[in-house]
Amino acid sequence: MNRVLIARLIDLVIVLFGVSVIVFLMIRMIPGDAVAIMLGANTEITPERMAELNRRVGLDRPIVEQYLLWAGNALRGDFGTSLWTGRPVSSEILLHLWPTLELTFLALLIGAVLAVPVGCLMAQTRGGAADVAMRVTAIAGLTIPSFWLGIVLILLLSSWAPGFASLGYVPFSEDPLGNLQRMMLPAIALALPILANLSRLVRSAMLDALGQDYVRTARAKGLAERKVVYKHALRNALIPFLTSVGIMTGYLLGGAIVVEQVFAIPGLGRLILGAIAERNYPLIQATILVVTAGFVFVNFLVDFLYIVVDPRVRA
Amino acid sequence: MVRSALRTALGAGFMAAMMASASAQVLEIGVDNGPTGLDPHLITAFPSFMVVNGNIYEGLTAIDKDLKTVPGLAESWTVSPDGKTYTFKLRQGVKFHDGSAMEAEDVVATVKRLLSKDIASPLASRLSAVDSANAVDATTVELKLKEPSAALLSSLATIAIVPSAMETNKDALQKAPVGTGPYKFQEWQPNGFILLTKNEAYWDKGMPKLAGLKFNIVPESATRQVGLSNGQYALLPNIDAATALQLKGKPNVKLSETMDLAYTLIGMNTSKPPFDNPKVREAVNYAINRQEIVDAALFGAGVPGGPLSPALKSWALNVNQFACYKPDPAKAQALLKEAGVATPVAVSMKVLPRQDIKDIAQVVQEQLNKAGFKVELVNQEQGQFIQDWRNSNFDMFASINAGQPDPDDYFYRTFRTGGSTNVFKYSDAEIDGLLDQARTLADQAARKTAYDKVQQKLACSGPIAHLTYGTLFSAMNSKLQGFDTMPNRSLLMLRNASY
Repeated sequence: MNRVLIARLIDLVIVLFGVSVIVFLMIRMIPGDAVAIMLGANTEITPERMAELNRRVGLDRPIVEQYLLWAGNALRGDFGTSLWTGRPVSSEILLHLWPTLELTFLALLIGAVLAVPVGCLMAQTRGGAADVAMRVTAIAGLTIPSFWLGIVLILLLSSWAPGFASLGYVPFSEDPLGNLQRMMLPAIALALPILANLSRLVRSAMLDALGQDYVRTARAKGLAERKVVYKHALRNALIPFLTSVGIMTGYLLGGAIVVEQVFAIPGLGRLILGAIAERNYPLIQATILVVTAGFVFVNFLVDFLYIVVDPRVRA
Repeated sequence: MVRSALRTALGAGFMAAMMASASAQVLEIGVDNGPTGLDPHLITAFPSFMVVNGNIYEGLTAIDKDLKTVPGLAESWTVSPDGKTYTFKLRQGVKFHDGSAMEAEDVVATVKRLLSKDIASPLASRLSAVDSANAVDATTVELKLKEPSAALLSSLATIAIVPSAMETNKDALQKAPVGTGPYKFQEWQPNGFILLTKNEAYWDKGMPKLAGLKFNIVPESATRQVGLSNGQYALLPNIDAATALQLKGKPNVKLSETMDLAYTLIGMNTSKPPFDNPKVREAVNYAINRQEIVDAALFGAGVPGGPLSPALKSWALNVNQFACYKPDPAKAQALLKEAGVATPVAVSMKVLPRQDIKDIAQVVQEQLNKAGFKVELVNQEQGQFIQDWRNSNFDMFASINAGQPDPDDYFYRTFRTGGSTNVFKYSDAEIDGLLDQARTLADQAARKTAYDKVQQKLACSGPIAHLTYGTLFSAMNSKLQGFDTMPNRSLLMLRNASY
């Protein structure tokens, strides 16, 4: 167990280092630098002022020096300050992390938790009307883009309960009810494709499992169908499900950019997008590192869960 | 059962929201973009300008709804006969948000801060004529100029007066602004909102009427529209025609509109073929049908425009005085022939990434292609576009620019040889002479004559084909009183607004 953990930690360090170098270089390869973008197209400014602004934000140094300076500080836990606002990058990330964590949690709660019974039901009623109806719904759920779904949900709610504040974000600690009422729609908009995706996955994994010999044996010894499905077959069907949930969690932690845009939620997706648009280098670098670390961590968690669910992996 | 429980919960939330709004009276504003910072001497972008200008900060002068320069923090001023010394009498009893009094030394420090190399303010060029600033006494400031500058007073409206303690401080104001305006800074949640609260000690007694302003950053246009219709937002300032048309006639929503100072344009690089030839540029102007652009891309909400916005009533020439504004593809073809260029003239046009500009670029492409050009549209990301613009790396580009209340602000830097935003590398001795002369003239009629000539010349063969001036809208809750859209997009009028 410990050995697995240590191997994973080494992986994490390598991945983070690689990502930091790649992000550092790539973001500087995009044409247009931070100063030019802040000024916009049609600002009156002399080249000397431009140079002064570049010096002000430290962009006048050689790129290797910039990287070493940044990496050295980052190792000591100092991710620097946001280029123009001068706020610490770490606090900006923290501020945007909560909405993203909450959205991820709620979306998974709705999507993944519902997917298991729905998928099992589809497998059990295979070919029947219920299965067909659910499969069609699932395909619809997969193909409907979340920005459209989000806007439709907002419109529906605003005609059904006008005056109901469904846009923006308030922290749970400040106003729990206001927080939940604003997070409800985006969580649903995010959860629907997850539910559709995962329930289809559970369905096919279940069908696979239900065709196995041990299921026939279980049925032969007279076990209740519910027990056969949920106790024996499901456990085997869970492995691909867990893998999928892991990957989805990783993506969700990177910020659900489209849904954040539509519902005006200040999450990591908008932080990254905004930082890239204004070439806010320190902010991009740190945010992408955090997101990468989250992804790696979730994968590690999934590996660990494999062991819990499937005794064969333990060997 | 579940449904009714949900309804009860929703109802409770709704009640709570209603009660909150009744006691607070903070105006909820929906904007598409957040500011990149709040230091008034560093920012140039609209999203930042809208928040700070006139709300948090004030200048010595102010620009009113009709684009007239009116007193701001300076109560009055006098100009010496040679036009080189401006003496400002400051308003008394003005306090900064930190409680300190606003006095002459603060104005002097502000001017120094703006011109300092260390601060590197992009607004420095607006004060390029200023030689020195002195405090005569606590309420009198004298600005000495190197040369007369007719645009100085209107420029001063955008120079926010900050406390003298900030003269050499680079960072503090980006995070926490300290101004004299009717609203003071309270909280900023990046990508979330900016909250300003009423300045109880504001010098203009009885103002502001609102308890505060909350700028909610809502990137999605459809979301802002729903937010306005369902009452969550009370104001969507400075929106385009497409959005305004969708909100028109919705219950509890009213629109206010004005002629925009900002203009859409086609820029041409005069440092290389084919646009180094004035006849080719003239051909472009004859080929373009501006009314068609207004109808097709602006939903009819706009007007064809020349070098100056029709909003500048005392300066702008009527576009039917420009021969090339009567669309004539045949004449364009003839001009190309005269110019001796091989047709079709193949050029690329870089397009600013905004929906309205993309639409306009497509219409223009079609029009030019009918008149002997072969235009390739190049869609670019914002940063790339800006870089190419600054480096004059283009044949043509399609874009939108903010306009200025004084012609000199725009013309001198854009069309004067070596001007700081003359990315077209345009150089014309007659224009240079007129621009140099006009900025030193104090007499309005004489300036007008000079600028009339400039407009005449630039309209057809200048480096910019000016296309349209749009109608600028604000959509608001019908209960909001006393707010109007301003041509320069300032939200200065929010001090008078009540809700």
